[in-house]
Amino acid sequence: MAAVIPAGALIASVVVLATKAGPAVRVNGAHFLTGSDWKLGNTYGAIQHTDGVAHPLGSSYGAWPLIAGTLQSSAIALIIAVPISLGAAFALTERLPRWLSSILRFGIELLAGVPSVLIGLWGALTLGPLLARDVYPIVADHMPNVPVLSYFKNPVGHGEGLLTSGIVLALMIVPIIASTARNLFAQVPALPKEGGEALGLTDWEVTRKITLPWVRSGLIGATVLGLGRALGETIAIAMVSGALLNTITPNVYGTMGTVAAAIVSQLDSAFTDGTGFAIASLAELALVLSIVSLLVNMLARFIVHRTDSLSAPVGVGF
Amino acid sequence: MTESSNNGVGPNVPLDRRDPATGQAPGPVDPALEAIDPDRGRPANVIATRGLSLRFGDKTILSGIDMLFPRGTITALIGPTGSGKSTFLRTLNRMNDKVSGFRYGGDVLLDDESIWASHQDLLALRRRVGMLFQRPNPFPMSIRDNVVAGVKAHRIAKGKQLDVVAEERLRQVGLWDAAKDRLGDSPFRLSGGQQQLLCLARALAVGPEVLLLDEPTSSLDPISTENVEAMLKSLAPALTLIVVTHNLGQARRVSHHTMFFYDGALVEHGPTEVLFEHPREDQTERYVTGRMG
Repeated sequence: MAAVIPAGALIASVVVLATKAGPAVRVNGAHFLTGSDWKLGNTYGAIQHTDGVAHPLGSSYGAWPLIAGTLQSSAIALIIAVPISLGAAFALTERLPRWLSSILRFGIELLAGVPSVLIGLWGALTLGPLLARDVYPIVADHMPNVPVLSYFKNPVGHGEGLLTSGIVLALMIVPIIASTARNLFAQVPALPKEGGEALGLTDWEVTRKITLPWVRSGLIGATVLGLGRALGETIAIAMVSGALLNTITPNVYGTMGTVAAAIVSQLDSAFTDGTGFAIASLAELALVLSIVSLLVNMLARFIVHRTDSLSAPVGVGF
Repeated sequence: MTESSNNGVGPNVPLDRRDPATGQAPGPVDPALEAIDPDRGRPANVIATRGLSLRFGDKTILSGIDMLFPRGTITALIGPTGSGKSTFLRTLNRMNDKVSGFRYGGDVLLDDESIWASHQDLLALRRRVGMLFQRPNPFPMSIRDNVVAGVKAHRIAKGKQLDVVAEERLRQVGLWDAAKDRLGDSPFRLSGGQQQLLCLARALAVGPEVLLLDEPTSSLDPISTENVEAMLKSLAPALTLIVVTHNLGQARRVSHHTMFFYDGALVEHGPTEVLFEHPREDQTERYVTGRMG
């Protein structure tokens, strides 16, 4: 019975969202996913009817920049957080003395418990400006004008934007991935690792070829857990992203917005739309977020399934 | 003990070719003779321990072990649990080095050079002194990749050569027919005995001179044990084998030479026949006759 509750809650929330979003889905159509304008229209003026749905004149909802911003910031967060988390987990299990390891573990767990609004505030007031003043200019000045890297060129802005968002998100998901990965590494039996050492493999080869593959599916699961958090993180990103609605940033530093941050930042003004169409469009935005999260999870499951065939069976005794 | 008491242990013991007068290895080697016997001109004892003492922190595991391991022989290390024989074995390829609190006294010589000498490369040392463990420990990669894991790491072969190495080594351990159609599969679907043979193939693939075996059949059924034992016997004299075993029958069946450890001391060692049939020490006799476990 208890197992049904989470699944039931998920289905119920998606159904409610879909019902709420219904009119918006009908009117906005594919433009919602591809368009780059998010306009409430004149909420005090004339009301238009499209397919029998009332909405303010001039309203138009295209969420592509928000969807892109969500994927971009989450991708940056993963690129930063995964290596750091794996490195930290590896150091905690394999390298550091036990007493230091347990202190650091405690620190990581504390970080996981810091409310995101605090991290957001710190990001907006301290970290962002600091990076924009002392770090970003150095990076930007040294980037050659070649594809991909030119994305890191000037202007660097004032600290609100995509890269700061990605860094803040990384900070928030490192504890999740690192503590899960630490538990996984601790489960890798000593015997295969010793086998690698006895064969004359370097420590790095043992890690790369034996320890990591041994828990590969678990690590992918941990990463998806972090990605889920990054995709859905709201308040901190609303504070450090610049909370734009209609712009995809031209470089990695620029201000932008994400789906989750837009929902919270647009809720107040959406209530001013007497037709309820703005609320319906926000519900559609939420629906998109749940679908993206669901797709990411399914993709991860698929990858786990594909790569699992060579890794060790769970519970192999050593 | 003296060095000479180690000669004539069994039919596989190569003659000591050192000049009896100077104790030095003979001069330049005739290439033809070298081709017939690549070990010609090398020290007769591939491993020698000199007053070896081992400690973990304050606890002394073994002390004052002087022992010679003639090239091409199989030596069994027997003794009750906790007698120090596994620690001794794991010292020979420096597996204990990173265990916290590990200290050693005396020395271990591999081809007359200390394994702890500053010029010894640990990875190269482990290529020369391989190891097989208590339980099969395949890596989480395909059967083929398991066999060539060490070959790749030491850059002994690459590309298509790896397939040749994999086949050759799987054939050598008698696993080829069982594995040839599933080289890309997980090794964890093989039986325990097959997994252990796979690990043996993996250890042999890097071309070691010495193979350390830490109770290699203790987790296997009798048929698999018989397979592995037959394999081990066939490896000498090309390789020198040092086997820790709790199975006295196994020690008698496979080894030329046996060392009996008891309570941190090497009580007695000698040709296997002699040690089992005419032990000098009372403790040895009680252990090998089953009156002490």
